[in-house]
Amino acid sequence: MPPSSHPIQLAPRGGSPLGGPRARVVAVTGAAGFLGSNLIGSLEEDDRVARIVALDTAAVPTAGAKTRAYEVDLTQPTAETLLAEILAAERVDALAHVAFLPAPTHAAAWAHELESVGTMHVAVAARQAQVRKLVLWSQTWLYGAMPTNPNFLTEEHPLRASPREPFFADKIEAEEQARRLASRAPGTVVTVLRTAPILGPTVHNVVTRYLARRLVPTMMGFDPLVQFLHEVDAIAALHLALLRDAPGTFNVVGDGVLPLSTVIKLAGRAALPIPHPLAESLTALGWAAQLVEAPPPFLKYLRFLCVADGRRAREELGFAAAYTSREALLDFVNAQHLRDVKLLTETAA
Amino acid sequence: MTRKPPAHAKKRGRTGRARPAGRRARREQDAAAPALEVSAVEPPPGPGGPDVATRIREFETRLDRMIDERVRERESQHELVDEAPRRSSFSPPRALVPPAPPSEGLLGSARELLSTDFYLRKWGRLGLRSRSEEVDEFGYDPVYEQKVLPLFELLYTRYFRVEVHGAERVPDEGRCILVANHSGTLPFDGMMLRLALRHEHPRHRELRWLAEDAIFHFPFLGSFANRLGAVRACPENAERLLSHEALVGVFPEGMKGIGKLYRDRYRLQRFGRGGFVKVCLRTRTPVVPVAILGGEETHPMLARVEYLTRAVGIPYLPVTPTFPWLGPLGLVPAPTKWKIFFGEPIDLRGYGAEAAEDEILVGRLNEQVRSAIQAMLEHAVRQRQSVWFG
Repeated sequence: MPPSSHPIQLAPRGGSPLGGPRARVVAVTGAAGFLGSNLIGSLEEDDRVARIVALDTAAVPTAGAKTRAYEVDLTQPTAETLLAEILAAERVDALAHVAFLPAPTHAAAWAHELESVGTMHVAVAARQAQVRKLVLWSQTWLYGAMPTNPNFLTEEHPLRASPREPFFADKIEAEEQARRLASRAPGTVVTVLRTAPILGPTVHNVVTRYLARRLVPTMMGFDPLVQFLHEVDAIAALHLALLRDAPGTFNVVGDGVLPLSTVIKLAGRAALPIPHPLAESLTALGWAAQLVEAPPPFLKYLRFLCVADGRRAREELGFAAAYTSREALLDFVNAQHLRDVKLLTETAA
Repeated sequence: MTRKPPAHAKKRGRTGRARPAGRRARREQDAAAPALEVSAVEPPPGPGGPDVATRIREFETRLDRMIDERVRERESQHELVDEAPRRSSFSPPRALVPPAPPSEGLLGSARELLSTDFYLRKWGRLGLRSRSEEVDEFGYDPVYEQKVLPLFELLYTRYFRVEVHGAERVPDEGRCILVANHSGTLPFDGMMLRLALRHEHPRHRELRWLAEDAIFHFPFLGSFANRLGAVRACPENAERLLSHEALVGVFPEGMKGIGKLYRDRYRLQRFGRGGFVKVCLRTRTPVVPVAILGGEETHPMLARVEYLTRAVGIPYLPVTPTFPWLGPLGLVPAPTKWKIFFGEPIDLRGYGAEAAEDEILVGRLNEQVRSAIQAMLEHAVRQRQSVWFG
């Protein structure tokens, strides 16, 4: 535990190796979510962070002495002024925006308000309150799985994920808002972290739900290479981006790739190959009946490559993933195995 | 399992028990800490290294035993529940059920055989028996290649009786691009070129070849080629391979080369838009022209039917003397005699990297390579006595 009487103080000048002249005030949106709460837990223990401002509608389980929680609902029209007031009053200098859904939802209109419009609120409020830095969580999925993708997508590659799927479209719009902030307010450092699908023992998202099935549907005759990012690495990358100034977009990925068939076998599951012309309509039906975890546009990721190159994050951000894709998968599989036999029960974060 | 003990310990420790969410983050923090330091990805081994390792082992075996017991307990409960009416409030609470005795002897193994988990585990292992657990970054799977290699070796030595001339012209090391004519409705030439270099080159270099991206639209073909070492043809992939100092085979004719009619055999098609020349100029890579003789007669294509094929998702339907008349049997290639000629390397290092932007130069170099291969092909065809015996 950090000392509870930790005073809000200025760190010695130039003392921090990561370049900040003084201890920072960091704000986190979506603070009760998986990434948000773990990021706060990680920031709580960092002496370079003086205060954490948690913004969410729910209580933050990891909040410690440094955290001040505010109830902000990004889907409300008042969110913008409220956010700007909080950010200005707390004199926040770095804001991590991780209020994004980890899995597609049937409540598409609400998701749009939260992700696309919510990011607009955040960006405008950040500009109003003159926040020095915005770190945005995004995903490599936005590149889209295409047979014409190179094996390793770089940050310059256009975002070609299906625009008819709100899960992707809203996040692409969110990135657009962040870029607009960078161009409107040149002094602001805008860092976009595109993470590979996150796996690990405690995270819950669309990929973990997919791999939690006993029979895992695949596309017959297709075996794309996939990559993962360990949850610890995802949190570490966000933490690093908050403390180190690296404007731009970065792919945050684990090393190595695995064929999807190997992933399923390592997870101890059986694959259920479905011919892809059939799968589209089956999935549409299953999604409408709430039997499957994702709508048809996600099927492309079971057929084609969507693997990103993490070199830029390594060179410019100084981020190196501690876990490879395979280790992240095995770590998830160990925990999932315990969940299967009900040795590990936990409430979803 | 090839994981290192320290990392392993942390993982097992974290996954081993359920805990409140608040403490979870603390735990992850100590795993996250090394990630923040760029250099120290792995925690340094402490003084009590071997001691810790044995304790981890013990912990692991204990955990495995717990899981096994739990699985068995669940199985036996299933049996109980099946007998009793479902959702009965009289089902004994979990804690009161005595833990199942450790399975020993016949009864235990019989029970294990009856559990579905057992079959799922076995299925997973069976599925991986012919595949390696780790592939390289382009999806090449050495174990899978070993499995199908006998077939290709048979094609190479007995069926096509490949004869190789001038393999020593390929540099012994460093990046290099081999440019060859493309042939055959089913392109065997990539794999044959790979085997030719593996067998005949003084250093037995491993070739990675670039395959048309059209095959990645189709089921089975793309993942099959990928596991064997083919890489989707695009400049980014080529440059990445070359930056690893690899030997890369390209067929710039692409789909037009595969779709050549029999009467157009050994007449090189357009070499794309000179993409490979640009890559060579940018990465300062020498080019070795290669002529493959014999490949263009394996599937003598008489006609290309393009009517209505787009609707099914294929560019055209090939018509050969045997296909589609004999069905899949018609895809068996004709046993032609193959010869592979390697030409003198063309050094492009004299030009700067900015030359890649010069369309006139790229076009000229493209044509130079193309005509070199065309000349080699024409010479070889003239020298040849028979399609079947060379």
